[in-house]
Amino acid sequence: MSFFEAKKRDICARIGVFEHGGMKLSSPAAVDAETIFPELGVVRHTNVPLAAGERFTSEYLHRYRDLVAGHPLSDAVAPSGACIVAENWHTVMDNPSAFVDMLANLKRRHPPDTLWYAPAAALPSTVAVLVYAGFDLFDFVGVDLKTAQGYFCTPEGEFSADEWMDAGTCSCAGCRSGDLGEHNRTALREEIALATKMIARGTLREFIEGRCRSRAASVAALRLFDASYEYLEPRAPVAREGALLAASGESLRRPEVVRFGKRVVDRFVPTRTDVAVLLPCSAKKPYSISQSHHKFQNAVRNRGHELILTSPLGLVPRELEAVYPAAHYDVPVSGYWDREEQCIIASVLARYLARHGYARVIAHLEGGSMDIARIAAARAGIELEETCSGRPTDPASLDRLAEALDGERAIRPDTIKGTVSWQFGIDIPTGDLQVRGKPWRRLVVRGRDQVFSIDAATGLFRPTFAGWQLLGDCYRVAIDDFIPQGDILAPGVIGADDAIREGDEVFVVGRRAVATGRAAMGADEMRRSSRGVAVKVRKVQKRAVED
Amino acid sequence: MISFFIEKPLACWKGKDIYRGSVLDCLTVIFKTGGCSWNRCRMCGYRHERYSPMAPADLTTRLFAQMAWVQREYPQSDYQMVKIFTSGSFFDADEVPASARRAILEGFRGKLVIAETRPEYVSPDTIREACELVDDGSWNCPLYVATGLETTSDVIREKCIDKGFTLQEFYDAVSAAREGGAGIKTYLMMKPPFLTEREAMEDMQRSIEEAAPVSDMISMNLCTVQNRTDVEYYWKRGMYRPPYLWSALAVLAAAPVHVSCDPVGGGKKRGPHNCGSCDFDIVRGIREYSLSGDRDLLAALMETECRCKEEWEFVLAGEKPYCMPLTR
Repeated sequence: MSFFEAKKRDICARIGVFEHGGMKLSSPAAVDAETIFPELGVVRHTNVPLAAGERFTSEYLHRYRDLVAGHPLSDAVAPSGACIVAENWHTVMDNPSAFVDMLANLKRRHPPDTLWYAPAAALPSTVAVLVYAGFDLFDFVGVDLKTAQGYFCTPEGEFSADEWMDAGTCSCAGCRSGDLGEHNRTALREEIALATKMIARGTLREFIEGRCRSRAASVAALRLFDASYEYLEPRAPVAREGALLAASGESLRRPEVVRFGKRVVDRFVPTRTDVAVLLPCSAKKPYSISQSHHKFQNAVRNRGHELILTSPLGLVPRELEAVYPAAHYDVPVSGYWDREEQCIIASVLARYLARHGYARVIAHLEGGSMDIARIAAARAGIELEETCSGRPTDPASLDRLAEALDGERAIRPDTIKGTVSWQFGIDIPTGDLQVRGKPWRRLVVRGRDQVFSIDAATGLFRPTFAGWQLLGDCYRVAIDDFIPQGDILAPGVIGADDAIREGDEVFVVGRRAVATGRAAMGADEMRRSSRGVAVKVRKVQKRAVED
Repeated sequence: MISFFIEKPLACWKGKDIYRGSVLDCLTVIFKTGGCSWNRCRMCGYRHERYSPMAPADLTTRLFAQMAWVQREYPQSDYQMVKIFTSGSFFDADEVPASARRAILEGFRGKLVIAETRPEYVSPDTIREACELVDDGSWNCPLYVATGLETTSDVIREKCIDKGFTLQEFYDAVSAAREGGAGIKTYLMMKPPFLTEREAMEDMQRSIEEAAPVSDMISMNLCTVQNRTDVEYYWKRGMYRPPYLWSALAVLAAAPVHVSCDPVGGGKKRGPHNCGSCDFDIVRGIREYSLSGDRDLLAALMETECRCKEEWEFVLAGEKPYCMPLTR
């Protein structure tokens, strides 16, 4: 019997604890796998390549006692807590499409609370991507082979030990004593430790976007995972604690970034759809605290719906500027918009404009962002009114903007409707709701009842019991017949709304109690795991049970 | 219009081979036939070398023509030994019609003939007849039946080769061949797919020991990557590696009997290979040993210094069924 519990997740990557036969292991980790699973050391003639066909696989795939062989064509399903050994995984390291397709299929088949072992695949140059992909356990076979071949391992690749050992690039104990084998193992352990810290601080994605550059297959794997949005997005948290650094071309396809744009188009309900004003973004976030946006807002004076055009998010309506990641991203600003950015942002804008049919669209933009607006307008079949002459913050430009809005009605942006629709996918009447409180502890109230508190860090709404009554039956987690004492664990969950992502506010419903809380894992993991906290509970209310 | 077409074997060449301690001039002929009836072995690309289906009479005519070509091109006096291959089974009457078989054997009368076949086509009567056709009294044992046993492990033969016969069926064929008056040559196959380097070595060591008591000659083939085979499918995906020449050397050196070996494709990506720098000398050495039986040569080659030896030793220890092949 063994157990695995993910303590911290970052999309597919996890920091976890694995228990097996009295042994406790923190993952990700590199170990001598045959000491933990002695049966690996005694198998003979059991090889089944990853590309083997269905009949061969079903006939010859080895059935381990304590492990489950994770072959793409095996229909065996691992029990929760098992270790899944992705046999011969090192043979697909240079084949990114097989890597991504096979792993995605395996991950869909087996429960999430399992430990994933990639034999012989880990090198300092590959292990970060393996961790990102969702592997937890590694061995020293790959680095020891490099030692035997005389290669010096670094996260940037493997190089001739004759030339590199004394080059001063590393001063580990192995390098100090001239022990290549020790250096190579240390380099692997260090890279795993580094990736682990990146998971802990929620910046593994940024780390990988940098780390993958030294191997074409790693870059390809990253891109192919991003292309499998339906696989990746449900695993991505709805909010993170820190900043989101969008510093590479791949940032545009990052699931959180794509999801933001999709929600703006598909879920978000704008305050008004008569007049739109497209504005440039600012370095300071949220935008309204920047000097430039002070000027824009003074010119607009709520006479149009402010939509901020930005990379990589595409389009941030004023109502959502405080929501993750709109207030949390950082991009390298050079004034240059590349074609890929232009294309993706224009697509979001075009879809948004096509959906909402504004009577007037005023573009208060310049340069590359103006080009994007023009592309989007053409695609959506909309005529733009352009109000910039020179810089958007020039007095002349601002005057033209104000002039263009002459006679339009002033309506304050409805942050409540905007955020609730974006976050929960539901349009609620907000006439009797008000935002109250200090900036660091803002509340949404109806009369004297609090319905939401606003998370100052993420801008997301936290519904109270009264708040959940406004939201219909979305974001629900069904639990068994018990009264939660503390957090709700995965085995207690009997159903979960598909839309739930890690970090989402959820309403817990059972026969004996209801509770408010925050999802600690996505819906799929809640339903399929037997271990780990599913919902961090905020408040519990007992229900009268009719017998 | 005159169409002109010469029927000749798939391949035919003259070389040397060792027989009871002396080196003989040897003609090797690979006849083009109706093709192997089994036609499933994972490493075998020869099975694609066949005529498209035709009437037995036509097939016989073409085989006569091939034999005539051989006799024209290679004077009888130039060789003492003949190895007959067909990309299948010489004694399979569907592949080589009986009249063609008789004509070929008669054509090689007086030679020491080694003919390859699967065991199911070996019966005392067929073999007795064949012996009579080739025997002119020059040799104590004028005919050897050669069979690709590949390994003495039924499990490996089934899984890794898909050979379709058992060790017992091979033993039965051996008895039948001996009853018919022939000797036995056994072919073994080093490192079919799905075996680690160590498993492959151990399989050969055991197979040589077990096959030796029933075989007069043993030849070990080193698996190569042939076109349009399962082996090639896996090799292209990095999931199969031909054996190291080090492994072949080690097996030959440790064998209790003389085992001949022609490392076809040795040193090439698709053939048995080491790192590329030590391959040539080892391939040449193995060929030499096959003819001379000089064990000191093997021992000396085994002591050759090369950086890839450490890699090979690591692969022997570290390559496991769940993480292989470790190298390419």
